Amino acid sequence: MTASGSGIGRSVPRVDAREKVTGQARFAGDLKLPGMLHGKVLRSIYPHARILGVDVSKAEALPGVVAVLTGADLLDIDPYYGHSIKDRPLIAIDRVRFVGEPVAAVAAEDEATAEAALNLIEVEYEVLPAATTMQAALAEDAPLLHEVEKLRPGLFHGLGELRPQGNICYQHTIARGEVAEAFERADIVVEGEYTFPAVYQYAMEPHTAVAQWEGDQVTVWASCQHPYLVRAELADLFGLPVTDVRVIVPYVGGGFGSKSYTKMEPITVALARKARRPVRIANRVDEAMVTTRRHNMVCRMRTAASADGTLLARQVSLWLDTGAYADNGPRVVATAADAAPGPYRWESFHVDAYGVYTNRPPSGSYRAFGATHLQWIGESQVDEVARRAGIDRVEIRLCNLLRPGEEVRPGGKPLDADLVGDVRKIAEALDWDSPKPPGTGRGLGVGLLAAGARPVSTAIVRLQADGTALLLVSTTEMGQGARTVLSQLVSEELALPVERIKVPGGDTNVTPYDRSTGASRSTTLAGKAVQRAARQVRDELLAIAGEHWGVAPHALELRQGAVWYGGKSLTFPDLIHERFGFSGGEIIGHGTVRPEAGKGSYAAGPVFWEVCIGGAEVRVDPGTGRIHILKLVSVADVGHAVNPELVEAQEMGASMQGLGNALFEEMVFDEGQILNSTLLDYHVPTIEDLPDAFISRLVENEDGPGAYGIKGVGEGALAGVPAAVVNALADLGIKVNELPLTPERIWRALHASDVPQRQEPIFKENP
Amino acid sequence: MTEGLIGQERPLVTISLRVNGEPVEAVIEPRELLLDFLRDRLGLMGAKRSCDTQVCGACTVLLDDLPVSACCTLAYEARGREVLTIEGLAQDGALHPLQQAFIEHTAVQCGFCTSGMILTARSLLQDHPRPTRQEIRHYLKGNLCRCTGYWNILKAVESVAGSGRQRGRVGEEAT
Amino acid sequence: MLGIFQIHEPDSIEEASSLLKEYGYEAAVYAGGTELLLVMKEKLAHYSHLVNIKTIPGLDEISFDPEARTLRIGALTTHRQLEHSSLIAEHAPLLAEMESTVGNVRVRAMGTIGGNLCFAEPHSDPATLLLAWDAVLEVGSDEARRRIPIADFLLGMFETALQPGEILIDVHLQLLPANAAGAYRKFSTHERPTATVAALLQLEQGVIADARLAVGSVGPAAFRAKEAEEMLRGQQPQEELIASAAESASRAADPVDDLHGSAEYKRHLVRVLAAEALDLAARRAQAEVDYD
Ligand SMILES: Cc1cc2nc3c(=O)[nH]c(=O)nc-3n(C[C@H](O)[C@H](O)[C@H](O)COP(=O)(O)OP(=O)(O)OC[C@H]3O[C@@H](n4cnc5c(N)ncnc54)[C@H](O)[C@@H]3O)c2cc1C
Ligand code: FES
Ligand code: FES
Repeated sequence: MTASGSGIGRSVPRVDAREKVTGQARFAGDLKLPGMLHGKVLRSIYPHARILGVDVSKAEALPGVVAVLTGADLLDIDPYYGHSIKDRPLIAIDRVRFVGEPVAAVAAEDEATAEAALNLIEVEYEVLPAATTMQAALAEDAPLLHEVEKLRPGLFHGLGELRPQGNICYQHTIARGEVAEAFERADIVVEGEYTFPAVYQYAMEPHTAVAQWEGDQVTVWASCQHPYLVRAELADLFGLPVTDVRVIVPYVGGGFGSKSYTKMEPITVALARKARRPVRIANRVDEAMVTTRRHNMVCRMRTAASADGTLLARQVSLWLDTGAYADNGPRVVATAADAAPGPYRWESFHVDAYGVYTNRPPSGSYRAFGATHLQWIGESQVDEVARRAGIDRVEIRLCNLLRPGEEVRPGGKPLDADLVGDVRKIAEALDWDSPKPPGTGRGLGVGLLAAGARPVSTAIVRLQADGTALLLVSTTEMGQGARTVLSQLVSEELALPVERIKVPGGDTNVTPYDRSTGASRSTTLAGKAVQRAARQVRDELLAIAGEHWGVAPHALELRQGAVWYGGKSLTFPDLIHERFGFSGGEIIGHGTVRPEAGKGSYAAGPVFWEVCIGGAEVRVDPGTGRIHILKLVSVADVGHAVNPELVEAQEMGASMQGLGNALFEEMVFDEGQILNSTLLDYHVPTIEDLPDAFISRLVENEDGPGAYGIKGVGEGALAGVPAAVVNALADLGIKVNELPLTPERIWRALHASDVPQRQEPIFKENP
Repeated sequence: MTEGLIGQERPLVTISLRVNGEPVEAVIEPRELLLDFLRDRLGLMGAKRSCDTQVCGACTVLLDDLPVSACCTLAYEARGREVLTIEGLAQDGALHPLQQAFIEHTAVQCGFCTSGMILTARSLLQDHPRPTRQEIRHYLKGNLCRCTGYWNILKAVESVAGSGRQRGRVGEEAT
Repeated sequence: MLGIFQIHEPDSIEEASSLLKEYGYEAAVYAGGTELLLVMKEKLAHYSHLVNIKTIPGLDEISFDPEARTLRIGALTTHRQLEHSSLIAEHAPLLAEMESTVGNVRVRAMGTIGGNLCFAEPHSDPATLLLAWDAVLEVGSDEARRRIPIADFLLGMFETALQPGEILIDVHLQLLPANAAGAYRKFSTHERPTATVAALLQLEQGVIADARLAVGSVGPAAFRAKEAEEMLRGQQPQEELIASAAESASRAADPVDDLHGSAEYKRHLVRVLAAEALDLAARRAQAEVDYD
């Protein structure tokens, strides 16, 4: 039996493109329910304070106000949530821990009234000493953000035992061998202290949630990446069976991690509960910024090598600022630790990674977390080793890179990518061996990101009596093209044209369980479940046809929406009719992915190692310090490209975000307050920031765990860019240990002798 | 004047305008923003609110053919004028060439920036049918897109601008 | 969301002015609204009466007086009009060049030159260039009209010489003599510029007869680098002279530390931009290079 769907490997146009270019695509904020109220949130103005009282009487008295929610309304529930650590009340109860923390929320007939009501709420605070930086939070007499012995694991903690200490909410160590001994033996030791800024994901659609209660059941329309995890947390918070919570996800206007896990949904649900009417809350940009962000980080790293450039050992300590609540901090800590050694064959390494509570807004996921934090640091040290050893920077990588099948991290999945081939491709795209024009620097960076999250996904394919297929899957379409790619997988298996496959949005009452949309997992894992579901349908079609003709299924062929036996064919509608004896009915297939399913490969995490690689050619304006990017190159090591143009689109988008992270993006804090909380002052890349050229290469070694050897993409290029740019700068003799690489910072580095530099180490000793 | 919810007097003005070719008349408060007017009163949801500060362009609509930030423009400002939103761009179900090009060049991802991006490009091409790459970049600078990394948008606009670039990988055709 | 306000539609400057006087602090001139509405949305200020001067005829016109060789630019002329006007392209291409870099297309379509100057936001492109150009601003009220040199109009951060009830009517620009030329340089890392420099040089037989150098965006208000101008006059535009003039302008700056960068860095930027602007202006005046 064969299926010649040729659904995959082709750049079919996106299935959602027409709706999107005509303005018809609907997002959570476009939804209007009868009687819907507008919710607005009053937020803390202090980084740390005790709430002595909240007087809402004037706000409640304002005509048009239907409900005002405060911590006092939550006495009948356990109001704490947090998927990794249950440390966060859905609205402040007796204490605020960051500037921007919700203190009260108003539901009113219109937005203007809700806003006016916020001004009438009187909050009495007792200001507490705050730890608004990691240094302050790790000081001996630092105020404690949480009563640490009481930290409770969240529903999806999954990271072993919680061993909080002071303001350290999570700690992760990975180690192999004895580093001390290797450093003694080393001819070359490179070391330094580095900082990475807080960064805002800026998904263009700010978080939006609409909640509607009907009796004891609640429906939430949300711009969320992981509807099933949101459902679980809402059910847990409000004491409901999960099936009484329904989460529906329309199109999402970009996620990049900012909409992973639970965000504005609990407060919206609580406000709707109090108002007894549907409520919508839509964040503004400044509110999105305090809802989640990328962790700022301090890192100390040292790398040992022998005189010939053989990498021996690496030792890393890193501190990630997770803000006032853990959010996804523990996972970021673990992933950062995993990324720290880099993809090399070490004799020994030791990484200590810490997540630190501070009085800043919480940090969570942002595309390629961990890898983006660490790769530029590790790769700049590898370049420095090469310089000191007097060997070429590509050569040192080719010699030291792990080969497929080698252990990456103790106990983890062995390497499943051809990094040597990938590095060669980058070098080739950069014309590495050609002479550089004067004033240009070249650099590259390679790394690995533990990808895939948990391998739990399900999918259902319903082949309808008219021969169209309905694919039910809970992957969120947030721009990455999930609905298109997953349709292509069904198309491939059922030999149905993509136009005959419909993929509605996620709806926990309709579409089956999927763990999440993130960690580059959907095409690989949800895709595998989709493939299996489609195969079940296919097998059933073949069985019906086989019975009809009295032949074995392997003698049959699927082609153009029909099953063929020699020159004879039966269309799918014919087969369904045959099956049910009636012009109705449908054939249903379901597919499941779970840890055991991959015969070990899913069991030993990660699901796959995503390759993070990039190259850059840069010039620097000596007058202003501005970096000009002549060329960016990326390699998409995808295993098998279902839709090559969508893969390239991921690379382009991730690279541009990488450029923003590398060159100018930074949330600036003063005493816990964000100073650049609008896009007037927080600059994200524009079309004028494009490099002169961008080259993306596709690598299809079919070495991924998904269907047809697929593995995910979409994050790696982001982590590759800062590393490539930092190394290209070092190639010009400009060494930096802080991101972003603002013109001023570069100017200071260029004039290191006559401009004062920061001397003091950030942490004087290990905290 | 009417008595407002907050007990304050709410001044009202009557405006008549054309939206996507259709006449519209409405009684509004002067403070009503064009974006809310289009979305809440007329149900035209294509223009989006993102930055709310005239930086991102997600709310772009054309007012007498010129791009404006509907998030910071009074609906009052549209009185006696012609508003074009993304919903009015296709004619009798036939997509505008820019819409077609955005589909063909994968210049759409999440779609949140797309309406504004297409309308801005249409305003450019109207005045300037054959812009250079540099001119396109300059004109679209105020329309942010966080998903695509802009290359495909540039290619899509160029393809309609007939600036003669072939479809293909961007790297090989560096400026 | 904006607070509640009433909008007034005067027919004349006089009527607008009396409305402004009648409502005092409750009232504001409403032009393009790009600054005003932003400020009101962010709740940094509230006005219950907006006086829409766009209903006054003629305020958005550009005209040229060939006798006096002056351009008259109405206060309501948008950045976009200035960018594309054929009169401007012919008589003041430098102004069009600068205007094309203001904000983004939407801000240029709505925002007016008058609004930009009256708001007196320190990071202003037009203020820097027009200061070098010695523009003269005509303002008026229901009582009188007066002309103010721009140097006396821009007083500080968000501060101008406008008196209560006064409205900016137009901007008068004296065309540069044939042997003069200018250049405008800016450096930005955010929406608004970090540093702006405008240089105008008049050359007579290779010697600088007149020099005007304005620096903006780095401090509370744009200023003229008088000492640098003095150094340049009577000299040939050599590299070293330009470098010392740029150095002098940089010393004269009063930059502040903010999100755009440290005072020290901005001082450095002024030096770099001033040198570039002076060099380009000199080459343009010697007709070596044309306007973009
Ligand atoms: C996103 C963004 C980017 C920008 N980038 C730049 C940039 O790069 N460079 C730059 O220079 N500027 C920049 N600007 C500022 C822009 O130039 C101004 O917003 C615009 O020119 C203001 O004109 P307006 O007509 O909209 O003024 P309005 O907002 O209508 O008015 C501004 C102020 O001036 C007063 N006013 C207006 N006109 C008059 C008058 N005739 N008489 C008396 N008072 C008056 C008003 O009462 C108000 O206080 C930017 C603005 C934005 C929003
Ligand atoms: S929402 Fe209007 S410009 Fe961003
Ligand atoms: S497609 Fe998502 S912001 Fe442009």
